[in-house]
Amino acid sequence: MMAAVFATMTLALIVGWFSRPRVAIGLAVLCLLLAIKLFLFEIYSPETGFRMPWIQTEFVVAPRRGA
Amino acid sequence: MSAESAAPVEQRLAPLLNYLFLFLMLLVIAAILTAAMTLQYGYGELPCPLCLLQRVALFGVCFGIMQQFRHGFSYRNSGLSMLFAIFLLIVSVRQTLLDIYPRPGHEYIGSAVFGLHMPVWSILIALALLIAFAVKFSILGGGEKLAAVRAQAFPLLDRLATVLCVYVIALCMVNFVSVVLQCGLGECHTFGYALLPK
Repeated sequence: MMAAVFATMTLALIVGWFSRPRVAIGLAVLCLLLAIKLFLFEIYSPETGFRMPWIQTEFVVAPRRGA
Repeated sequence: MSAESAAPVEQRLAPLLNYLFLFLMLLVIAAILTAAMTLQYGYGELPCPLCLLQRVALFGVCFGIMQQFRHGFSYRNSGLSMLFAIFLLIVSVRQTLLDIYPRPGHEYIGSAVFGLHMPVWSILIALALLIAFAVKFSILGGGEKLAAVRAQAFPLLDRLATVLCVYVIALCMVNFVSVVLQCGLGECHTFGYALLPK
């Protein structure tokens, strides 16, 4: 997957250099989409994704204080 | 000097500053990528998946800049560079938040450079790139004024930019081969080069 991300970016740079701007931009956008997909996989994967339990990002009902 | 003879100089000044600005940005990014690759191959610091995504983002910023040197100024290419800069910012913030709380197996990857680790540097680099684009647009504007003059109108700058662009393409090709050797076809959770004999 990472190889595909780098392959599309390398192709985009080479194709862009040889005066095919539309194809090159398409490849760059494809690379960005693949990179975003891989980034989201890194975040949400149950096996390899990393949680950040020390940062609270969701609303938690605070325990009621004793009277 | 009459107004007629001064006009072409004025018309060329903004594009010249634009290409000079882009050249300096490309030079800085190429230096950063070279430093990252020196740490990888010279000091054996294997990049993590998020580190590799940050490299791709930097190459993406380079792509937008290089397109402007080849085909002239365009908002589309500037926008593409800024999208990759935002992606760099998101990935590097994520990685910094992962490593900011020290615990076993989640130390900062790699050695510190001037006291800061690479993900933290990436945040600063992404912010600097976005600020640089904002400043450029604020001062030089855009549109037909910049698009009217191509980089080829400034031969020395064009030649230097060509050399730099070829260097960036070569860097990307080396990175691609390196990623294939390190990750194979997977997501790159490796502690060595997967395809090289151990």
